[in-house]
Amino acid sequence: MSDKTKKWLCRIIVLAVLIFLPQVIRDRYFMHIVVISGIFMILCMSWNLLAGYTGLLNLGHAAFYGIGAYTSALLAMKLGISPWFGLFAGGLVAAFFGFLLGIPSLRLSGPYLAITTIGFAEILRLVAVNWVDLTRGSLGLSGVPLLTPIRLGDWSMKFYLEKDYYYVVLAAVLITFFCIRRLTQSQFGVSLQALRDDEPGAQSIGIKTTGYKLAVFTVSAFFAGFAGALFAHFVRLVSPETMALHTTFDILTMTMIGGLGTIAGPILGAVALTLFSEWLRYLEELIKVDIRMVVYGFILILTILFMREGLAGVLRRLMDRLRGGRPVSKGERKP
Amino acid sequence: MTEILRTEKLTKNFGGLCAVKDVSFSINEGNIMGLIGPNGAGKTTLINLISGAFPPSSGKIFFTGKDISRCKAYTANNMGIARTFQIVRIFSQLTARENILAALVDRRRNGPWKLVGKAIFSKSSALIDNKEDVREADRLLDFVGISQYGDEQAGSLPYALSKRLEIARAMATDPRLLLLDEPSSGLNPAELVDQIELIKEINQQGITILIIEHVMKVIMDISHRLIVLHYGEKIAEGDPMKVYTDPQVVEAYLGDDTDAAH
Amino acid sequence: MGSLFLQQVLNGLIIGSLYSLVAIGLTMIFGVMKISNFAQGDFCMVGAYVALFITAWFPGWMGWVGSVLAAAAVVGLLGIVTERLIFRPLLTRWTDIDIIMVSIGLFILLENLAQLLFGATPRMIPDPFGSATVRMGPVSTSVLRIFCFAFSILAIAILQIFLNRSKMGVAIRATSQNRFAAQLMGIDINLVYLLTFAIGTALAGIGGVLYGTLFAVYPLMGAMPTLKAFVVTILGGMGSIRGAIFGAFILGVAETLGGNYIAMEYKDAVGFAIIILVLLIRPTGLFGDKEAA
Repeated sequence: MSDKTKKWLCRIIVLAVLIFLPQVIRDRYFMHIVVISGIFMILCMSWNLLAGYTGLLNLGHAAFYGIGAYTSALLAMKLGISPWFGLFAGGLVAAFFGFLLGIPSLRLSGPYLAITTIGFAEILRLVAVNWVDLTRGSLGLSGVPLLTPIRLGDWSMKFYLEKDYYYVVLAAVLITFFCIRRLTQSQFGVSLQALRDDEPGAQSIGIKTTGYKLAVFTVSAFFAGFAGALFAHFVRLVSPETMALHTTFDILTMTMIGGLGTIAGPILGAVALTLFSEWLRYLEELIKVDIRMVVYGFILILTILFMREGLAGVLRRLMDRLRGGRPVSKGERKP
Repeated sequence: MTEILRTEKLTKNFGGLCAVKDVSFSINEGNIMGLIGPNGAGKTTLINLISGAFPPSSGKIFFTGKDISRCKAYTANNMGIARTFQIVRIFSQLTARENILAALVDRRRNGPWKLVGKAIFSKSSALIDNKEDVREADRLLDFVGISQYGDEQAGSLPYALSKRLEIARAMATDPRLLLLDEPSSGLNPAELVDQIELIKEINQQGITILIIEHVMKVIMDISHRLIVLHYGEKIAEGDPMKVYTDPQVVEAYLGDDTDAAH
Repeated sequence: MGSLFLQQVLNGLIIGSLYSLVAIGLTMIFGVMKISNFAQGDFCMVGAYVALFITAWFPGWMGWVGSVLAAAAVVGLLGIVTERLIFRPLLTRWTDIDIIMVSIGLFILLENLAQLLFGATPRMIPDPFGSATVRMGPVSTSVLRIFCFAFSILAIAILQIFLNRSKMGVAIRATSQNRFAAQLMGIDINLVYLLTFAIGTALAGIGGVLYGTLFAVYPLMGAMPTLKAFVVTILGGMGSIRGAIFGAFILGVAETLGGNYIAMEYKDAVGFAIIILVLLIRPTGLFGDKEAA
């Protein structure tokens, strides 16, 4: 069996498993967790594009998430616009803000940029808290409409259950994965990485770094906003908390653990951390102590010190060894 | 012979320090111009000005007749000027081949947004693994003699090889003028010989070269003309042998023993 | 109205002096080791808790002063451990992003560990001066605040003497200007790093005690000082102690005035807005090294 056939066979098997998953998992709570982890996968992939591939440390990423959520929720609740359109709109509005945040990135780098992004997110969060007329302040918007049913002839799909959302999020994750993978393996992606590795060097080969930074911020924000909109219609509650620093830290931890700057990293990280945090919850019930964030902090530190390339790196080395040391091409990590 | 580069009273001040002062010279297309001078004479600053790393405080630069005095580095590159750096600036986390693939992207026709569109929507020509580009990258790797390192991470390359990668990368942008900033630093005598050959071969392809060098052997061997900077000012220009024996030049170097020895 | 304005300025200056301690620590650590310590505020928090316990056993103003010293010592020690175990191994290995991330990890860890150990409810360090106030012409303030201000100035003065007159201090300054040359001159870089981190965190610890006494002590209290310290160091230029002092007082006054005359809820945003503006004009801060950013 040729390599290419093997690859496609693997992909089909994985896809089949993913499609039949809801038949196997009947527990609604668990399905809820799966959907949330899917949304985080999208968030992590978008953050990874900025931090891992372009070297831009955005600690205000949750702001894009929140903007997408609020946009879609408000459009649906105040203007009666279909949530399906809202998903897109959330992404677009977030993309606009992404562009705005890209502007300071043109002159700042490293910690200076990081602090500015935190400031940006904090200012937006404060606006969400205080512009009570629009956002109902700290109470947040509740009762966000569900995704409207799809009808194709006789067949229809309503979105009352978690497993219905599962399919939407699955599609969303696959689309995002496809887009981001394409971006990173394209001429655009290699230009971003050149920018990351050496900005003056990149400029010397004709890369207009300002344009690229703005572009990547915009694209990254789009996907984060899209994820936010999905979140809004799933959880049906949007509050300023969505834009809190702690959400960005979750994204950051997941991506680092999964492997910064890799294609599979964000996905592995989101899955690993979600499962881990569920296991922790179970453990906590036994010992009656909330140790989740403490462990997160520990894991983050340990990962950077000892497992810098994350789970993706570990997996890649494993696969390299299985193949007998043949070099694996950079983009190919998911079988 | 036509003039490809000309500067007119080029000056660059950094705060109170004048790094380059009223430098005017020109290079004819197809020539190799050597740029020498004691340490701190302003040679790298001059290269930075020509390549667009920063704008001059006053004066002008003309490339193929066009005024590029205030052009940014990426614009200068798109117009046909490529450069290497004194301390090599390769993309360490990319492979050697990817370094060159990054440079092969046609940026005159494709800005960032267009590339985003191509990446997501086009069939597959935006992906960097397209055969044409890979072939060209391999050709360049071979040209500088590092073809077996194509898949190696650039950051893991030994210093001398990374310098060659930088040259290959610069050439990938299809330049008419190549600025080399001390390409020989850190090389041993055997590597120097290869280096000289390489530079001559590049020139034979019709590429004009402006090269900063401290190693006299290299500079005297390959330059068609020399220009000497001292404390930011041009103190001599012309035929290599004449410049080398110019009393002003000799005096400038006597203050800096390391180079007179060569 | 004039006296209200003066009162606000005074309050702003006092707050500014607290910010300056934490910010100087941060800027020293960045200037010498190129580490952006996102956990700086958490060292404040540790200091505050140390003081909480000590003043519980030794009440009164002597206990309080003692607790400040103890906090400096304990936090400095914690800083040494952190530097050795976490930051030192990374200094030669990885990129900027890694160092920032690991300090974020530390931030998450310390904050939540504190929450685990001490619970989330805020606690108070009792005012060692029994809420005594003092009147100075048109303005008035509490004795406590005067002491906090004095303590901060004293700490800064001692630090300056140390940096300018002592051998180790000069070594630290040399390293912050040119790491390589300092090594060539025989300066023990490892010792310099250790000391810098210890001092930087100890200053945060002291600032934490002052913070905790003026406001409250709770596990998440570190976030604001961290952010404010970054705002200040960026305003003043990372690596510049003089800039940190200036920036701290500017921020303190601007915040207090902004909070009073514009909108209380957006008080914290004032700081961020200021730096974003400053950074857009001068990307390396007011006193920063032009090549840095």
